[in-house]
Amino acid sequence: MSARNLLIGAALIGLLVAAILNANGYHLFVLSLVGLTAIVGVGLNILVGLSGQISLGHMGFYAIGAYTVAILTAGYGWSFWLALPAAGFFAGAAGGLLSIPALRVRGPYLAMITIAFAFVVEQSAAEMEGLTGGWNGIMGIAPPSLFGASFRQRGIALLVLTLAVLAVVFYARFSGGAWGKALRALRDSEIAAQSIGLNPVWLRCVAFALSAVFAGVAGGVFAAMSGFISPESFPFFESILFLLVVVIGGADTVLGPLVGAAIVVLLPEALSSLAEYRLLFVGLLLLVVLRLAPRGIVGGLSSLVTRLIGGKAKGTPVSGDGAAPAFLRSSGEAAPLVVDGLSIAFGGVKAVQDLSFEAAPGAVTSIIGPNGAGKTTALNLIAGYYRPTAGSVRLGGVDLTGRASHEVARAGIGRTYQTTQLFEHMSVVDNLLIAMRRGRLSLAEFAGAAETSRRRARAEALLAFVGYQGPLAVEAGSLAHIDKRLVEIARTLALEPQVLLFDEPAAGLGEEDTARVGRLLKRLAGLGRCVILIEHDMPLVMGISDRILVLDAGQKICDGAPETVREDPAVLKAYLGEADLAGRARDGAGSTGAGRRILDVSGLCAAYGASDVLRDVGLSVAEGELVAVLGANGAGKSTLMRALSGLHRPVRGRVLFDGEAIEALPAHEVARRGLVLVPEGRQVFPELTVIQNVRLGAYGRMPPDLDAEVERIIARFPRLQERRGQRAGLMSGGEQQMLAIARGLASRPKVLLLDEPSLGLAPALIQELYAILAELRDGGVTILLVDQMAEMALGVADRAYVLGSGAVVESGTAAELRRSDALQKAYLGGEAATAS
Amino acid sequence: MKTNPKGVFLAGAAMALAWAPTAATAADPIRIGQVAALSGASAQSGEAITRGLQIAIDEINGAGGLLDGRMIELVQRDDESKPPKGLLAARELIYNEGVAAIIGGIDSPVSLAIVPLANQEGVPFMGVWAAATGITQNDADPNYVFRVSAVDALVDVKLLNYANGAFGAHKVGLMLINNPWGQSNEKGLEAADEANDKVEIVGTEKFESTDVDMTPQLTRLKDAGAEAVVLVVNAPPGAQMMKSRARMGWDVPVVSHWGISGGRFPELAGPTAGDARFVQTYSFFGDQGPAGKKVLEELKAKYGVAGPEEVVSPVGTANAYDAMHLLGMAIEQAGGTDGDAVREALENLDGTYEGLIKTYEKPFSPDDHDALGPDDYVMVRYDGDRIVPAE
Amino acid sequence: MLIISAMIIGLGLGSMYGLLALGFYVTYAVSNTVNFAQGSTMMLGAVLCFTFWATLGWPLPAAIVAALLLCAAWGVAVERVAVRPFVRRGSDGWLMATVALGIVVDNAVLFTFGKDPRGMPPTFLVTESLAVGGVRVQLQQMLIPLVGLGLAFALTLFARRTRHGAAMLAVVQNGDAARLMGINVGAAVTAAFALSGFFAGVAGILIAPLFTVSSTMGTLFGIKAFAVAILGGIGSPWGVMIAGLLYGVLEATVTASFGSTYTQIVAFSLVILTLALRPEGLFGRAAVKKV
Repeated sequence: MSARNLLIGAALIGLLVAAILNANGYHLFVLSLVGLTAIVGVGLNILVGLSGQISLGHMGFYAIGAYTVAILTAGYGWSFWLALPAAGFFAGAAGGLLSIPALRVRGPYLAMITIAFAFVVEQSAAEMEGLTGGWNGIMGIAPPSLFGASFRQRGIALLVLTLAVLAVVFYARFSGGAWGKALRALRDSEIAAQSIGLNPVWLRCVAFALSAVFAGVAGGVFAAMSGFISPESFPFFESILFLLVVVIGGADTVLGPLVGAAIVVLLPEALSSLAEYRLLFVGLLLLVVLRLAPRGIVGGLSSLVTRLIGGKAKGTPVSGDGAAPAFLRSSGEAAPLVVDGLSIAFGGVKAVQDLSFEAAPGAVTSIIGPNGAGKTTALNLIAGYYRPTAGSVRLGGVDLTGRASHEVARAGIGRTYQTTQLFEHMSVVDNLLIAMRRGRLSLAEFAGAAETSRRRARAEALLAFVGYQGPLAVEAGSLAHIDKRLVEIARTLALEPQVLLFDEPAAGLGEEDTARVGRLLKRLAGLGRCVILIEHDMPLVMGISDRILVLDAGQKICDGAPETVREDPAVLKAYLGEADLAGRARDGAGSTGAGRRILDVSGLCAAYGASDVLRDVGLSVAEGELVAVLGANGAGKSTLMRALSGLHRPVRGRVLFDGEAIEALPAHEVARRGLVLVPEGRQVFPELTVIQNVRLGAYGRMPPDLDAEVERIIARFPRLQERRGQRAGLMSGGEQQMLAIARGLASRPKVLLLDEPSLGLAPALIQELYAILAELRDGGVTILLVDQMAEMALGVADRAYVLGSGAVVESGTAAELRRSDALQKAYLGGEAATAS
Repeated sequence: MKTNPKGVFLAGAAMALAWAPTAATAADPIRIGQVAALSGASAQSGEAITRGLQIAIDEINGAGGLLDGRMIELVQRDDESKPPKGLLAARELIYNEGVAAIIGGIDSPVSLAIVPLANQEGVPFMGVWAAATGITQNDADPNYVFRVSAVDALVDVKLLNYANGAFGAHKVGLMLINNPWGQSNEKGLEAADEANDKVEIVGTEKFESTDVDMTPQLTRLKDAGAEAVVLVVNAPPGAQMMKSRARMGWDVPVVSHWGISGGRFPELAGPTAGDARFVQTYSFFGDQGPAGKKVLEELKAKYGVAGPEEVVSPVGTANAYDAMHLLGMAIEQAGGTDGDAVREALENLDGTYEGLIKTYEKPFSPDDHDALGPDDYVMVRYDGDRIVPAE
Repeated sequence: MLIISAMIIGLGLGSMYGLLALGFYVTYAVSNTVNFAQGSTMMLGAVLCFTFWATLGWPLPAAIVAALLLCAAWGVAVERVAVRPFVRRGSDGWLMATVALGIVVDNAVLFTFGKDPRGMPPTFLVTESLAVGGVRVQLQQMLIPLVGLGLAFALTLFARRTRHGAAMLAVVQNGDAARLMGINVGAAVTAAFALSGFFAGVAGILIAPLFTVSSTMGTLFGIKAFAVAILGGIGSPWGVMIAGLLYGVLEATVTASFGSTYTQIVAFSLVILTLALRPEGLFGRAAVKKV
């Protein structure tokens, strides 16, 4: 807390003390209510603001606290000062208990559990007559006394003020300390939080219990203050007012609950002359605040101030020479990661089968393979995200098989993600500081010991080492793509892991940045770490790997040095498909560019966030043509398809379809005009039957006789004919692909877009599929086809375009492209491999 | 940490503004506070009380006010039927509005919560509906709480007597709403049962105000041999009870506390509404005295009430009307609005007041703060929409 | 006999919870959001029907149709005002916003309709009864389960047999693919909220003759129905309907055995317990996690 904040705080407290000393009984009561509500709000903020959970049941904890004090003081003659901690304890214990069912559910489910809890507490208070006095409640609760003097209204108001100040100070320190960071990390990304060793179950349980303690203490004071409580003092539905305090004030802000409490309590009082119209106003106000200030009043004001003053105070930029920090140099002897016979199946599909390898320290081990080969699944198995059905993972002498991912992380295995998983609402440096804990948080740190300067220095050194040069205090979510990557890598390093798992670190990066990441990985291996890389960018993989494993359909098909792998015929086959499997070419001269141009794309650009995925793409398709778009994974093929079909918006450039500009239309409008995409991964509607799926295909473009049309299409696909009544989700991958194409045909598209139809299919099925494509082509259907299986696609295509890094690098007729080496370059990088 | 000094300052300023005290001078009107349910399920009771109060206040003001021309002003606050809200509202009325006295509402828990505050601050609190025995018998000395309404303990005696006397029932079953009022009457009825050799309680059943069906509870009472059912509940759930009884085809006599008198009971309960006999302090049906005629006229003029059948919750209006007049007399007699003086004036009220319910002569004494007793209770029933004396 | 009558009551109330819960189901299934103030919409159905029929003297069928149409319109309004703006910015503020809108409509009705609970004029459905196993059952009591099950059946048919029904289900199963079929996802969500309002209206109109009509009548029903929807796993019309029936029968059984004071405690404790053991609800399916 800065000196200025302290000063403001002291002034505010002074003001309130003065107000309390001058207030009349009503004002005292209202002020005390504001204070108590603020205390509950501060506690609820730990749950809502920090851990991102919701509770509609805090009235239950408030009631437990109030009844504890009432029963212990009025019934058993305890001193208030002993009863109050007991109130906090019982409420906290109830919170801990409730967190058990609450941990496993989210959103509306959690809301329901907490509502039910508050309801049960209210009703039980009414029924446990012997203990709680039933509906009559407990009267004559003595106010607290100190040194023989009994507290009256004013004393209690001062007590409430003291507690509220303590609560706010505690929250400020808690939320700024390790626990606060850990909870925020969990809120922003549970997956990533686990991968830096945080135990989500334990953290949520603590947040729930702690939050309940605040409510319990406030309830305890309320009992002493009002001198009378009954079940009707704690209507479960008013829990929503506590939530309102946090939401209106501003979740995850220190002062939010104070402001929220002031509004929620004072506003109805200010409106008391409106008597019966009060609730109407409260409801309307809530709607307005939710709409206009989603971050609450304090959150909204502070971002407004930030905007007015300008982006000052983002913290200093990273300084440092970028040398490897001393603590990163391998200490002691490094152990290899040993994977043995690892297997897992999802619903009968063997995603990874009998995978064994040993990743040596000091080396980069890459896992490559076509899409759907099981690479990421293998990574998830190692990192403990999935439990293998067979096999083992060992690091040195430690068996990590089947351990939870936070335990795996603590054992020294760090990872990054395909789409970066930063804690987006935390600062860059906080992302690292919490990771340094390796999940170790002690209860002694509740009051939030400030981060040591040693830790900060370490974090800064790590950021400098990975090459991050931005400011330290900026929110991670606002970083550019490359910086996100770098910070994520630095965060993983903060764990000081033995093993580093990188899942497509170059995805979405430009050439230069990719090279930077490559050098970084190489340096890490040089520091004695065991680096495991999954990547589609072949130049990168070939450039930095010491060893490469190739997976196909869940199985290892090749294992060796880059040179060996590049020459391996099995690898080429896996990537390009087999020429002898290729579909039938068009008879005769074909129709290259013969018909009217129906699809004309020029200057098309698309981006995901800050990273460009398509750059100035131009292509055209004429009526009756089959055009293929080829390129390695990550070249932007699927994005192109999504951009054309309207799923990806906005895009720049021009897409003319049948003479009409469609680049701004939403997907359903594009589909209704007859440009129909059969998406990657089939995406049939699993709960609908085959026939329903096909009929739905015609939804946007109803043919005059749907039944006949559907029959005509189904007749083309014998496999579908047999299974017409079956639910689509129960069919095999190949059948689903046929269905997806049939569904696309049902709307009699003017142009059919096909995205990776052969993905994950067995060779026999691919052949069948391509036979059908050839048939469709000959039947006059215009098709734009994207397929990783270049040989297959070229077999049926009239013309083709090759995409590389989001731009068209080559185009021509199928025959021309076959002869060119651009294709192999695009797929496997480096020099062209000798064609088999 | 994100703090916003400006925001804090603004909030502080707003709070300071809300603080401006209201000064009172001698020429000001006399403020009378009302804490009652103005919204929610019991909102209609608050409305009935308001009508009674307002008619009486208009009469007093029309006759030149009190204390040499000071007018009475009614300050209303909604308690939403919640004790904490009621307590807060009472505080606000006392400290901010400087009211001379407070009139209560229908909900006993709310009144019970306000009682300690009234005694602590020395502000007369006049109950006009809530019947819980402990409201007036609260062990405080001096006691600032008065009531012009029924008292549960006395009503309960009357109900058991009536069940036996009118229907010859020896075995009665209790159907009680599961809330403080029901609980208060459970105790009262048990005490009345102790004192009454002719009647025995054979079963006690409770239900919630939101229950749609009560045949299980009634079936158990029937199996226990109940010859009459004593009902303690407000009109809407009471109507649910009558519908359940009709559904079972059980024609057991029903003797009820007065809760069912408000809120369109005949419409809600349907054809069997007339089977229930219940307690009232007053009925606007039948021959009316001068006060009754006057009040009915006013109800017609001010609130568009066409006739007795449209008087909703008549006891609320009648009790409030009489209570307001008694309070006015006491203020006049006390010669000011000092709480202690008004209390003493109420306890030793001079002269008689020809009210709606009866003619009051020394309605209160230092030991008895209830103006109405068992003799003032009448047993009635519905005949269509009309409340008629039970035969 | 006690048990038989408890069962009959339980099935009636249960199918009413189920009807309300169907309203939660349709919107959750299509958009992963719900109108938390579904109880208020139910109240609106009963209040509007009462006003048109009993106060304004319209013929009953016209009153019912008008009330249901307005309930559907209200559903659309809720989606536009309190759901869509929040979903668009990726916030779950819709939860609070729908509650706020519920408070507003409850109070607006309080001032326009009146503070007085009202009773629906009886029809032959209420006055006539049949004997079932020695217990007299009003026709209305039988009508509720019939309509409830009938609507669940109709909803299933609508989804399975009609073009638009299939389209709405498709939105649930795969939003992107649905758009590729030319399905307007925004319109489907609007339709789901309209349908949700319609179901709530039906529930309100059906229960009104057995209960009382007032601005607060829907609150507790709404919460129970939400519990039912969650217990049913918000996965299928039948799951939700069966959960409703189970909940109704459970309530009635507890009431018959211990008295209604313990009904809510037992029922809501069981809700917590059930969700603790089966977080995805009784008939729900756990979602597949993806990294």
